Amino acid sequence: MKRFSAFLLCIVMIVGLMVVGCGSNKPAQSAQGDVAADMKAIKDRGVLKVGVKVDVPKFGFKDPQTNKIDGLEIDIARAVAKKILGDSAKLDVQGVTAKTRGPLLDNGEIDLVIATFTITDERKQSYNFSEPYFKDGVAMMVKKSSGIQSVKDMNGKKIGVAQSATSRKALQEEADKAGVKVQFLEFGTYPEIKTALDSGRADVFSVDGSILAGYLDDSTTILNDRFAPQEYGVASKKSNTALAKTVDEVIAEMKKNGELDKLIQKWGIK
Amino acid sequence: MNGPFADYKWVALAHDWAVFGEGFANTVLVSFFALVLALALGVLFGVLGSSKLKSFQVITRVYVESIQNTPLVIQVFFLYHGLPHLGVMLPIFAVGVLGVGIYHGAYISEAVRAGIQAVPRGQLEAAYSQGFSFWSAMRHIILPQAKRMALPPMTNQAVSLIKNTSVLAMVAGGELMYQADSWSSTNLYYGPAYVATGVLYIILCLPLATYARKLEQKAEVNA
Repeated sequence: MKRFSAFLLCIVMIVGLMVVGCGSNKPAQSAQGDVAADMKAIKDRGVLKVGVKVDVPKFGFKDPQTNKIDGLEIDIARAVAKKILGDSAKLDVQGVTAKTRGPLLDNGEIDLVIATFTITDERKQSYNFSEPYFKDGVAMMVKKSSGIQSVKDMNGKKIGVAQSATSRKALQEEADKAGVKVQFLEFGTYPEIKTALDSGRADVFSVDGSILAGYLDDSTTILNDRFAPQEYGVASKKSNTALAKTVDEVIAEMKKNGELDKLIQKWGIK
Repeated sequence: MNGPFADYKWVALAHDWAVFGEGFANTVLVSFFALVLALALGVLFGVLGSSKLKSFQVITRVYVESIQNTPLVIQVFFLYHGLPHLGVMLPIFAVGVLGVGIYHGAYISEAVRAGIQAVPRGQLEAAYSQGFSFWSAMRHIILPQAKRMALPPMTNQAVSLIKNTSVLAMVAGGELMYQADSWSSTNLYYGPAYVATGVLYIILCLPLATYARKLEQKAEVNA
């Protein structure tokens, strides 16, 4: 009896926690009525907070020598900061991972996520996504010594993918088409997948092609196949609609005036 | 309404319950075998550590100190990513059982050693005088008495062991935490995912913890 009531107490506490969680979400929702409450908050703060990748060379990468984070996505963040605050330096970037980017947006720790975030219908339910600023296909890296040439050679192989990445689904479809059985291992960060490939835990390292290029070395090669084009978008909290609209405008403008293409060239992406 | 705990996210969770069921089953399996290993190692090294032989004591100290003073994450990383470079490719299930089992074996051995040392020295000497060998004296005379002292902390170790199987999430372990990460990071419904996962761990751990508390109370009464 005692044990049961203790268990009941736990359940009540958890439900209570959820109600609090929902409750704290409400003010943000009602703020929606006030036209640009979310924009005002950023202007009052005087700095735009953006979550970026720190482990994807050319997109968002923290240089171990200088400790500075830079890349295409940081340049996009600068453009958004310039639009909102009139100064591209009024920007505060912080590293996010696949696991942290959703919660950090929800709790308001960051305003935007520009971190090779693939747009999916499912995710659109939870967050606002801008129009895509980059399109890339899922690619595969293997050890040269493995002799793997294409998906057909992957029967019974283990494929290392990133948590929260859409590559798993894309690759599963390809494997089904080729009639081969594959197994997936999900890891939290890209370096961990590379470690797994090196140690032989995974036979294939599969993420978006542009990300994969940063991990190429002498013993590995990237297969030519590309699957399921992924579109990257800038994400914001669902209730921050004014911010989402502004971001969308910035991306549209950068596409139109060729600024985005210039940046992609500047970073030597494809 | 939207937010981390929006209704449709719970619906999605209910729909994909099998993912969490699979993780739960794996957590139970890994925990069970890891616990068996931890108990075996704990009793073995607990006895060795309380023996008078210097070399046994040294072996036990090396085991206990090297395991207790490095993070479990490093030990599991070594088993998972390190050993393959030395030509040993352990399946992930074995990584879990060995990693968590060896880790908690070190803690349990300390509990066992404390229990043995709480049994008056004269008991062993009396057993010797009756013609018992060291091991049979341990088995029939000392350990049954040491058990009463050692059992409550050992049960607490079992609770920690179950929770610590969650480090396998970092090496694609397929247990509950990994499945929760995997499921929630794809659709970003992390709210329901981690609440449900927490509840599942409570279901596993709370009965054990309650049992441990009862044992502790009983030990106090008997003492």
